[in-house]
Amino acid sequence: MRVSSYLSLPLALASALWTYATSASPDYSEHLLLQPLPQSSLLASFNFRGNTSQQSYDNQHFQYFPRALGQILQHASTKELHLRFTTGRWDAENWGSRPWNGNKEGGTGVELWAWIEAADDEEAFAKWITLTQSLSGLFCASLNFIDSTRTTRPVVSFEPTGDHPHLETLHLLHGTLPGEVVCTENLTPFLKLLPCKGKAGISTLFDGHKLFDAAWQSMSVDMRPVCPADGDCVVQIEQTVDMVLDIERSKRSRSNPIPRAVPNDQLACDPSKSYNSDDTCYPLEKASGRAWSLQEVFGRTLNGVCPLAVSDGESEQPICLRVPDERQVSYSEGVVEHRKADGYTRCYALSPSQPFDLSVPEQDIQQEVPLEEPVLHAERTIVGHGQERGGMRMILANPSKTAHVDFIIFESLPWYLRPYTHTLQATITDANGRSREIPASDLVTRTFYRPAIDRERGTQLELSLSVPAASTVTLTYDFEKAILRYTEYPPDANRGFNVAPAVIRILGAPNAAPIYIRSTSLLLPLPTPDFSMPYNVIILTSTVIALAFGTVFNILVRRVVSVDEARALGARTLKGRILSKVIAIRDRLQKKQTKVE
Amino acid sequence: MMDKIEDHESRHSSTSLKSVDNADNQTSAQRVPPPETPEAIQTRFRVIAAFWAVIIFLGFPIWWKTTSIYRAHLPIQEMTEWSEGKICRPVFPLEIQIAAPALQLTESQHLVRTTQHALDDLNEFAAHHLRLKLANATDLSDSGGPVLGGQNTGDGPDTALTVRVLSEDGLSSPRSELHAETTQLDIFYPPSQVPVPSSSNPALSVFIAEELQRLYSEEKATIAYILSGGTSGPDAESISRRLRRSMKYADTYHLSFSLFTPGAAPTSWDIEAAVQEYLAPLLFAFTPISNFTIDTQVQMYATFSPMAPPPVFDEVESAWTLKKEDLSAFINAAEWPLNPSIGNGPTLNFVLYVPDPSQSPMVVKENRASSWIIPQWGGVFLLNPPLETTDSSGSRTNPAHLSQDSLRPAFMTFSHQLLTLLGTPATPSSLPLRLQSLIRVRAAALLLSASSTMGSLARLTESLPSIPIPATVAASVAKTLSQLSATCSHLREGRFGAALASARIAESEAERSFFEKSMVGQVYFPDEHKVAVYLPLLGPVGVPLIVGLMKEVKRLVAAWKARRLSKA
Repeated sequence: MRVSSYLSLPLALASALWTYATSASPDYSEHLLLQPLPQSSLLASFNFRGNTSQQSYDNQHFQYFPRALGQILQHASTKELHLRFTTGRWDAENWGSRPWNGNKEGGTGVELWAWIEAADDEEAFAKWITLTQSLSGLFCASLNFIDSTRTTRPVVSFEPTGDHPHLETLHLLHGTLPGEVVCTENLTPFLKLLPCKGKAGISTLFDGHKLFDAAWQSMSVDMRPVCPADGDCVVQIEQTVDMVLDIERSKRSRSNPIPRAVPNDQLACDPSKSYNSDDTCYPLEKASGRAWSLQEVFGRTLNGVCPLAVSDGESEQPICLRVPDERQVSYSEGVVEHRKADGYTRCYALSPSQPFDLSVPEQDIQQEVPLEEPVLHAERTIVGHGQERGGMRMILANPSKTAHVDFIIFESLPWYLRPYTHTLQATITDANGRSREIPASDLVTRTFYRPAIDRERGTQLELSLSVPAASTVTLTYDFEKAILRYTEYPPDANRGFNVAPAVIRILGAPNAAPIYIRSTSLLLPLPTPDFSMPYNVIILTSTVIALAFGTVFNILVRRVVSVDEARALGARTLKGRILSKVIAIRDRLQKKQTKVE
Repeated sequence: MMDKIEDHESRHSSTSLKSVDNADNQTSAQRVPPPETPEAIQTRFRVIAAFWAVIIFLGFPIWWKTTSIYRAHLPIQEMTEWSEGKICRPVFPLEIQIAAPALQLTESQHLVRTTQHALDDLNEFAAHHLRLKLANATDLSDSGGPVLGGQNTGDGPDTALTVRVLSEDGLSSPRSELHAETTQLDIFYPPSQVPVPSSSNPALSVFIAEELQRLYSEEKATIAYILSGGTSGPDAESISRRLRRSMKYADTYHLSFSLFTPGAAPTSWDIEAAVQEYLAPLLFAFTPISNFTIDTQVQMYATFSPMAPPPVFDEVESAWTLKKEDLSAFINAAEWPLNPSIGNGPTLNFVLYVPDPSQSPMVVKENRASSWIIPQWGGVFLLNPPLETTDSSGSRTNPAHLSQDSLRPAFMTFSHQLLTLLGTPATPSSLPLRLQSLIRVRAAALLLSASSTMGSLARLTESLPSIPIPATVAASVAKTLSQLSATCSHLREGRFGAALASARIAESEAERSFFEKSMVGQVYFPDEHKVAVYLPLLGPVGVPLIVGLMKEVKRLVAAWKARRLSKA
């Protein structure tokens, strides 16, 4: 299914509306946006936001801000924090542009960046380590493995989103763990940070089994100070969970989770194809008219509203659904539906105590909710062969027919991947498929590069470039793979080493929020030794040393005689005496034999 | 070929006839080589000696140096003696000033002397004794003296208590009055009872002595209990219970106040005002002993653990009751976010629990109490606010906001619980006196605990010869020992504030040396690993060396025997 870009009322706009409507006064609010996506998918986007006045935050009087997190942030002098847990891959080809314009998601695994107040870089790094250690305990994640080799200091890729009075004393540090497996144990502490803790409101829909069974999911925690022009500063915590569920998969009952083949007669086959027998079928992609309900997809219904989430009924409703207006939707009693003017969005004001369910029956409809076309398609792979060298290739496609796109690529590479930046090459392919090589400097306007130091820090590379309209740029560079020390290999060394995803920040209008895209993480195979190596080395070197030593020692100590003399001497040694005895015994036996004969 | 050898033989025959004979005696075909020249033997001896010299004087020391574990020198003897209490016998001489403005100088001196006698007769515990001193007239102007002992910075002992002896008309017998806010005890006596210098045991002296004895009885019992190691003492049971409840001493305590409720209300409380009003004065009084940080939180939807027995409705009391033995399961540790605060020092948790409207009011079944202490952890208070009937449905809910006034009983209880958790004695009624007493009790406890840590460290390093002892541990131990002796001398001279400060340093240094990280990770190589690493090298290299050495030794022994024979 193609993404229709001309009709698009951006999903991002809807989310942006929330952002500006709620950032001001209410102390706590929560929202859920449900949107069916092509190919039987459902995007559920949860947002929770709490404000605490700066004064009570500083005095450690926590009401909507979680105490555990607040104390960690104060202890590490962290003024702004962004933490992401992501699994899966966002299918931009089918699903369009990312929720929140990619501002609420991270690279595969865990990504953390924070602005830390410190006098110098060393102090900032010490506080950063404190922060990662403490967050690691709070979120049950291996964040404590973010050490100096996994920490970078991006220059242009990230901007603080909060209002900071002393920006010059803040240090931005960024760390990623691409190999971290995000799982249920990260969701439980995440839920504990919410004031209603999954007991009331939209957070009751969270179920670890469903969430981590999603095709793509991202959890984020953001903390920032917000100072409105009129009024006192507040410290804002925003938690989001975005997930794309496969409706068919989620509807499978927990007791019978094994997928079974659909009987032949129930298959929807494409009649326009020609078939040579009865048992072949080109499955027909169903229109978006698939039936689902909250109960079926999430395994539970929504339990009332969180009483803290102040909603005045008219302007704000906690739950919104984006389906065409002609679509029939049934919902629980006592719920008020509000339709938005755009013709696709309807929101629900819930009654405080009753459970809420939403049911969308199967229906054939022609119209679809338009999806926004992504501004840039990005793909990043490792190329090359062999154990010694390799190459990185990035394919950046600008789908727009008219506008060029400016962006910044941020790469944080592990130290054992040593890029050769002089090999950076660019190939540009226009709409007609003609490709030509151009010097990379034609595209790259600015480069920020900090080379790696073995075992101390990784490479940090920020490239600012521009892709013309309707063309595709392929960037490549070569790298060398380092050989690690014996103890530096993980237990599963042959699996390969994770390379963090590249972060692409698309620069739009000067004041607009930037759009972020993250590539998938990569797996780098390194030369892996045989791990019985140390003993082999010990034995081999010992043998060589012993050989050399023995020769030298013997030459120095032994007496040199001729062969005959040696024989004569040999008769007097222990060996000679034993030999002569043996010969004597043999002679005697032979004599006996002759006697018998 | 044969000719050649014979030639060879004949050439040498002149030099060594004996060997030629030997060869001729054995086989005629095989010729024995000529004996080695003394130079050759000498050279071989030197070669072997040189190899062994390198091994012994270079190889062995390097091996020893690189595989040995660094163990800094520790004063084991001294450490053990500290832990056994041989070096320091802590004493607690309390100085008490007596001011008798109405009496003549000789009269008051006599009063002090006789009271001291009476006191010494009453005292059974020698380590803790009261020393009376006549106050100067100038000292009286600041009545009550310093609030806390720790403020004395001079060399003189702290003044524990000021006794003012005042005459009052219309009394039949003396009476005493302790000021609750200061360290001052007023003794009122009928003018008729002015002690006569001739009387050896006036009634007023006895009365003052008994009063003082009573004031310090609890402290004495506690210190006696601590110094004896928790065995002796008349009321050891109650003291040990009190000590078990109290927290370990720390520089900084984090106080965490949490409002928990199983429903959706209340969602806010006047916590800042309540802390400022009800708690800040108490914490300020504690500043010479410990520092405090305060944090607060509001947690809704905090349900009981599914394992905990639910409260039961009691018809008689018309209240929901919790059984006393079930109180330990009241805190739902798995779900309530009561994690300790970040930073050094323990956290004291104070939980204000507002029950659900359907379970209100809630009390403890046995005694209708609404609060209890969880030893070494914190306190719980059940607050049953008046329910509000809000909307049309008539359902009753908790108020959404708790005002400062409604928090008053809770915070009064919390401050009482805080005192108990910090180990403050329950008597006397004057808070400054209780805090002074706490200083002495803490100093004694820290002195003993640091000493015993030293003893444990000494035993540990002796019993585990393979653990490394870094130089920092030795430095910490030295500092601990010096601070311990400083504590001891401060105590002897009655400067308890300074003694506590020294004891705090001693304790923290002792803990640091005992829990040194690099000592925990022992170097451990199994023997089979050592064999696997050493054998491939030492086998092939060692065998020729040892055989060479043995041959040479044999030759030397033979030569020595031959020389002896030849001499004989």
